[in-house]
Amino acid sequence: MAKKVKKPSPKLSRGMRKKLIVLFSLLTVCLCALIGRLMYINYTSGEKYEKKVLSMQSYDSVTIPYQRGDIVDRNGTVMATSVAVYNVIMDCSVMTSESKVDGEKVQKYLEPTIEALVECFPELNKATLYQYATERPDSKYIILLKKLPYDQIQPFVQLQEAVDEKGKKINPNIKGVWFEKEYQRKYPFNSMACSVLGFVSSGNVGTIGLENYYNDILNGINGREYGYLNSESDFEKTVIAPQDGSTLVTTIDANIQSVVEKKILEFNAAYTNNHREGDGSINTAVIIMNPNTGAILAMADYPNFDLNNPRDVSKLFTEEELLTATTEDKMNALNQLWRNYCVSETYEPGSIQKPFTVSGGLETGALNTDMTFVCDGHETISGSFIGCVALQGHGVETLEKSLMDSCNDALMQMGRDYIGVKDFTRYQGIFGFGQKTGIDLPGEAYTASLIYTEENMTTIDLATNAFGQNYNCTMIQMASAFSSLINGGYYYQPYMVNKVLGADGGTISVTEPTVLKQTVSKGTSDLLRSYLYNTVSHGTGSSSKVDGYSMGGKTGTAEKLPRNQGNYLVSFMGFAPYENPELVIYCVIDEPNTADQPHSYYAQNLAREILEEIFPYMNIFPDEETTGINAGLDITGTDPYFMGERDGDYLPVADSVGNEPQN
Amino acid sequence: MTEKKSEVTKSKEKAISYFDYNLLFLVIFLICFGLVMLYSSSSYICANSAKYNYDAAHYLKLQLRNYIIGAFGMVFFIAVPYKTWKKFGWLAYFVSFVLCVLVIFIGSESHGQARWIYIGPIGFQPSEVAKVGVILFLAMLLERISKKLKSIKSLAKVFALLLPIIGAVAYNNLSTAIIIMGIAVCMLFVASPKYSHFVVVGIIAVIFAVVFIAAAGYRVGRIEAWLHPETADPDAVYQTMQGLYAIGSGGLFGKGLGESLQKLGNVPESQNDMIFTIICEELGLFGAVCVILLFMLIIWRMMVISNNAPDLFGSLLVVGVMSHIAIQVILNIAVVTNSIPNTGVILPFISYGGTSILILMCEIGLVLGVSRSIRLESIR
Repeated sequence: MAKKVKKPSPKLSRGMRKKLIVLFSLLTVCLCALIGRLMYINYTSGEKYEKKVLSMQSYDSVTIPYQRGDIVDRNGTVMATSVAVYNVIMDCSVMTSESKVDGEKVQKYLEPTIEALVECFPELNKATLYQYATERPDSKYIILLKKLPYDQIQPFVQLQEAVDEKGKKINPNIKGVWFEKEYQRKYPFNSMACSVLGFVSSGNVGTIGLENYYNDILNGINGREYGYLNSESDFEKTVIAPQDGSTLVTTIDANIQSVVEKKILEFNAAYTNNHREGDGSINTAVIIMNPNTGAILAMADYPNFDLNNPRDVSKLFTEEELLTATTEDKMNALNQLWRNYCVSETYEPGSIQKPFTVSGGLETGALNTDMTFVCDGHETISGSFIGCVALQGHGVETLEKSLMDSCNDALMQMGRDYIGVKDFTRYQGIFGFGQKTGIDLPGEAYTASLIYTEENMTTIDLATNAFGQNYNCTMIQMASAFSSLINGGYYYQPYMVNKVLGADGGTISVTEPTVLKQTVSKGTSDLLRSYLYNTVSHGTGSSSKVDGYSMGGKTGTAEKLPRNQGNYLVSFMGFAPYENPELVIYCVIDEPNTADQPHSYYAQNLAREILEEIFPYMNIFPDEETTGINAGLDITGTDPYFMGERDGDYLPVADSVGNEPQN
Repeated sequence: MTEKKSEVTKSKEKAISYFDYNLLFLVIFLICFGLVMLYSSSSYICANSAKYNYDAAHYLKLQLRNYIIGAFGMVFFIAVPYKTWKKFGWLAYFVSFVLCVLVIFIGSESHGQARWIYIGPIGFQPSEVAKVGVILFLAMLLERISKKLKSIKSLAKVFALLLPIIGAVAYNNLSTAIIIMGIAVCMLFVASPKYSHFVVVGIIAVIFAVVFIAAAGYRVGRIEAWLHPETADPDAVYQTMQGLYAIGSGGLFGKGLGESLQKLGNVPESQNDMIFTIICEELGLFGAVCVILLFMLIIWRMMVISNNAPDLFGSLLVVGVMSHIAIQVILNIAVVTNSIPNTGVILPFISYGGTSILILMCEIGLVLGVSRSIRLESIR
């Protein structure tokens, strides 16, 4: 094997071995010195640095928004909902990040992403986007667009996620844009039940109506993603999922509500700019409720507003006025517009009070069905002349006929001569006047100071109160009290919400109808029902009659303050069917826009038109022979009484109160 | 050496072949530990950044890939008898030099300095290649001229030969140049019979460092940050101070694995140069000392292998690798403890790295290759 004798390789010499050990020692010494250094740092500054670390920790948290609950009608029709909208966020730091392509560092995301943005969102300006990217390359959060609906962001998402047949992304370089989820309140029916539903201001604050009253129930709890230090000072990160808000199932029936609002608009269309400039009335309001539960089926008032744009003042002011109007002016006007007339506004009810006076008298025994009163057209009380609807007098009136004729004289006599201050005021209280009904709506007017007490009621107050003037009530008070009058005497608390459903659809609570008290006996209730039936069939309320349906009701024509200005609030309170009332309707028209205001038929027409449409919907069937009454009348139809078709001598002025002292 | 004797030797070598499993297992243990720490220090940032596609294991996966490639390199260098490389000494020298010059002109930038060369999609750092190149070259050269190393003249000649490479590397990566310099000094120190020369070399090294610091303006800020970290410009000392906070807040046994607060975005490059601070914070002084002891054990094993290598070339190879690892560990820990000015040196086997991991694995392969040719009866 000795081809070539290699020079043997030198080996590590003794000296080298020594030096190797020296080198090893030196390195070891260095490492030991560093161990010493570590100990020194820990010993001298450990505590200080530890605090520093804890103090530097940012407990950043990200809010995950909850979805506010819906408001639906009794059949589940969505009236208010929160829809997810998306803010387009640009993350420049990602977009401008550099990556290697063929050894070159390039910003490969920048151009494709901006191109995709401009393509999918035409409102974006390419130059502006490049400007953001160059001026703020590290910025992670630039809001490009706000509150886009889901389908508007889809083109971009699809472009970004698009894959070819092999499942490979077609546009892998679109990066640095994300969508921040938010919820926006939407009202699919715009102005429907506007003052009842209310709307939501920024941050899910319910501003009026149910949105306000049930704000806490509708709102959920925001979720959070956050870091914190636990008891051992360890950092932990937690995601708490948001809890969506609960859904309100209201007692409102969207179909009935829409009929009511349609008819109110029809009425206003007919009377707008009729006698004076402006709407068909100062206010038109309707409540429909179930007298056997207190549930409100419809509640509407006009002027209305668009819930999706509640702060629009363009309808409230002319263009010239807008130029000079202050923010305060606008706010006042809006607040006035947003008021729910049915619960927040007080007024003198007029003759709607008469059935209450009669039933109070019957209950206390002060009146009985055999009594008769002579109406001579007026009464002079404490020196004041107070006229009846028929100044020449109705002649002899029974209890029933006094209601059918809406005779002020007879009612004044009942109040003054038989019932007396003590029982009258007591019964005002029993019927709930001067008290809140406790309906689940915000801003219910408190009318305690607007009615008389036993202590401060004079004879003349008693006389005028007996036919509904000179004290104030709210529509909801009147409708609730009237329901008790015709349902056998049970006063139900009026309510707006049937059920509360959890975010998962499970029922959280159900509202049981609440009987608060018995106002009158069954016998009195039945008696009043028949009186009111005849009032509609053969009396002043005949304009409200829907042919073929048994109904009862009472009209009201209240002269407004200041008196003798020709300004009236006309109303109609009705119920149907006669035997087992399933609904109560209360229509109020404040100052109808006509030269000749004091006629309840404005309200009766409205009620009739509404009832005509909702009876079939509510499965209330014709239960009488048709007589052809009110045939061919529309919302402007004139009172047949007035036209002299039945009693030629019927006077239009219903509840006028002359020369009475004001207080 | 007679024919017969050499036959006997060969058969004996085959019969009782040595392999330093101690070193192998130490390295494997350190690699596994390093992967755990790498995941711990990088997962939070990666999981929360679109840059990494919200993939917590982003760096872990890359590092695993690098180690798998590195393992092939290691096995290759174990399998090929190390003496083969003696022939490639000069080649290693020239390749290193050319690459280091090339990177100045065609390199890609990272953190303000061009340190990368790309061949297609594969990039690497020539300065890392230069480390192993210099080790190979010096081992070859010093074995050849070991008799003449007494004179200062031949020492100077060796330095003169190295200067082009070191200069080229130093052009844009001073810390690596210092490491190469350190490796060279250590290898020369072992090979040379003299001590006095190295005192002189030490002095020269200090002057060298000062000149470079003065020449490269951007490093002056680092000096200031080093001397007065608490009062210097907060931006300049940010990394240093955050590292110190991490080390200081760990205490004796640390906050527990995965419980670091500083890795949540405060310590920049926590998976890289600064990973030791996260070890200190999570495992405390105890864990940090254990890591240092592990490195000491590795160095000790290498010293043993070097001591028993069959020839001077093998011994010097191992000395080179040993000093490479030791110097990087010392520099890295010195930087994070603010014992020396801030400079980017990674912690071997633990920090994230691509080229450096491959080179390290090859070097370990070399050392294990040398250990393979140790004859068992000759171990002292």
